[in-house]
Amino acid sequence: MAEQKKSVTRRGFGKTLAQAGVAAAAAGPVAAQIGSPAPGQFGPVVVGNYSPLDQITFGGIGLRGRGMADLRQLLGDQRVRFVAIADVRESAREMVKSTVDGYYKNNDCKMYRDPAEILARPDIDALLIATSDRWHGLMAIWAAQSGKDMYIEKPGAMSINESFAVADNVRRYGVVFQSGAQRKNQYSFEFAVGLARSGKLGRLTAVHADTAIGLGAVDAGGHSWWPEESPIPDPLVFDWDKWLGPCLWRPWNSAYPDRGRGEFWDFHAGLLEWASHTVATAQWAADMEHTEPVEYVPDGTTFRGDGLIQRYTVYCRYANGLQLILRNHSWGGLGSCSNRFEGTEGWVEVGDSGRIEVSDNLKSLVPKRTGTRYDPTMDHIRDFLHCIRSRSAPRADAEKTCHTHVASHAAWICAQLNRKLTWDPAKRMFINDEEANRMRGRAYREPWRAEALATSM
Amino acid sequence: MPQTTGQTQPPSSAARQAAPAAPRPPAPTVPPEFDALPIWKMDPPKLVAMVKDPSSTVFQKAIACKKLAFVGGKDAIPPMAALLDHPQLSCYARFGMEPNPDPSVDDAFRAALPKLNGRLKIGVINSIGVRKDAKALDALTKLIDDGDPEIACAAAASVGMIGGMQAARVLESALGRTKPPVFPVAARACLLCAENLMPVNRARSLQLYHLLSGENMPKPVRLAALRVLNAAGPAPVTGKKWPPPTGEAAERDTSGFLGRRNR
Repeated sequence: MAEQKKSVTRRGFGKTLAQAGVAAAAAGPVAAQIGSPAPGQFGPVVVGNYSPLDQITFGGIGLRGRGMADLRQLLGDQRVRFVAIADVRESAREMVKSTVDGYYKNNDCKMYRDPAEILARPDIDALLIATSDRWHGLMAIWAAQSGKDMYIEKPGAMSINESFAVADNVRRYGVVFQSGAQRKNQYSFEFAVGLARSGKLGRLTAVHADTAIGLGAVDAGGHSWWPEESPIPDPLVFDWDKWLGPCLWRPWNSAYPDRGRGEFWDFHAGLLEWASHTVATAQWAADMEHTEPVEYVPDGTTFRGDGLIQRYTVYCRYANGLQLILRNHSWGGLGSCSNRFEGTEGWVEVGDSGRIEVSDNLKSLVPKRTGTRYDPTMDHIRDFLHCIRSRSAPRADAEKTCHTHVASHAAWICAQLNRKLTWDPAKRMFINDEEANRMRGRAYREPWRAEALATSM
Repeated sequence: MPQTTGQTQPPSSAARQAAPAAPRPPAPTVPPEFDALPIWKMDPPKLVAMVKDPSSTVFQKAIACKKLAFVGGKDAIPPMAALLDHPQLSCYARFGMEPNPDPSVDDAFRAALPKLNGRLKIGVINSIGVRKDAKALDALTKLIDDGDPEIACAAAASVGMIGGMQAARVLESALGRTKPPVFPVAARACLLCAENLMPVNRARSLQLYHLLSGENMPKPVRLAALRVLNAAGPAPVTGKKWPPPTGEAAERDTSGFLGRRNR
């Protein structure tokens, strides 16, 4: 068998496949079904050279740093045809067009200032959305209502209510949704989750999620400050009104786009900067992707203007008693976005370093391939593309992402209020805490709403 | 503080040292006139007074409304409602009022509706939809025919969010007379309405889904309605029948792994 394998080259494989097909056709359908096919006869019927009808037509909204990294991975897949970009920044529009046209060696990529124009294009099947946090939820809802599948960067929603609205619309319109929680397709995290879900850790006692510093609370002084007003830029170059989008009005200052979203509560989703990844992995390991913890208890949450400043922990408990522990410190030094799963018969801890640490009794299970850090984005995008074809759910679909986000938002509200909270997953509300319940949503600035723009779809 | 198993404690101080906290950038220098923290620490009565005070700055009123969203009572509603016609502060007033459970919020939004125009009116229509204020249905029904298509779209969307039998009638009627850009919004609103009616009135809900599965509907709405109808049961017997294969196509019937069947 080994010899036979060695003798099959790539070109030879194709020839073998073609010969087998010709022989089977000549012998008729019955002959083709007699006996098992020899090894090497299995394989794709059509390889590569996807025709325009086979391809998935993509548009992009708000692609810069992270979005450009996604775009480069996307362009590398033959199933994808990327045709348009919408961005409020002229420079970003031109950067994407230049990249796409350079790749395809043509001048076809269309540029739009208003995302509504991409949503209205019936020829676009799917969207890559990598705006800043404040726009993710509304863009996802509008994309669903326009019948577009979407790969959307995280965090996917600015509030608990928005998290549910995204999942509800994706379900209602039957589109395929993949959140940019790419660690769900990264080997070390898959391995750790596999140990937990297979029972090799014994009975689970706690799952840990490293949620980093957590961006600042609404009442953290600096997070609601206004820099000095400056003259508003030309909307053709930078459309401030659309950049601000659903967020509360404030006078223009270049500090907002230049210094990032993290300094201002209106523009970020707090703990979800990392929790979108690590709580997702923890819920996956705990087989709790369909729900959220019912209890949240903060410890050591002190905010400075730009985030949680001390070592903090939010102890969460699921209805079955299992603990989800959110903390801003990695115990094993395994890199960013680390997770740790503990059971009665062992533990495992992983992080972005790619290393896998386990209890002594599980060391024999850890494969030699560990220790390599790599970008899992391509695998995550492939997962999405496969699901566009099969109309099935990717690993970070809207429903799972929703529960991850709701759990993380609930923990963040708990940290901001610095008191124990009890959550009712069925009623989608906190029990006996009106202030916490009021923090479940953020009113949108006019004219934005969780409903598609007035397009002619 | 809840305790976890022994294994949840840090394995060693050495491991902790292996992961030092990343150096933090300095906190931003905040101009005192734009510092939210002193306002944030105020009690609700002081916040209400700040919103009322004509000498308060736009920033002060904005942050006071933001805080009142979480802690404001009934007395906070009238001063915030008075800002609904303010071009910059209207969104802050709605931010402060929308999550407040007091019914006087709905009264204030309804009262503001005829006094506003353009974007500010759209904002209030949107808030009415979020709060599901059924008492506003008559006013919103009229606005579906407003000359400003953005106002008409907002009204149709809010009717869908409010939901119920009256909303279903309103949207069904709107689908018969509106054109794009209002028509697709009315269709999406009707889809939401149908979904919300399903647990309480299945027959009426399915009636709406049938309407929305028509070929004149926006494609995403039509496909969504068809999926629900498929889940609800097979198509009626009187539905379209496809002709059986004839000629060479019928002779090539090799479907199924075992080859020709039923022959």
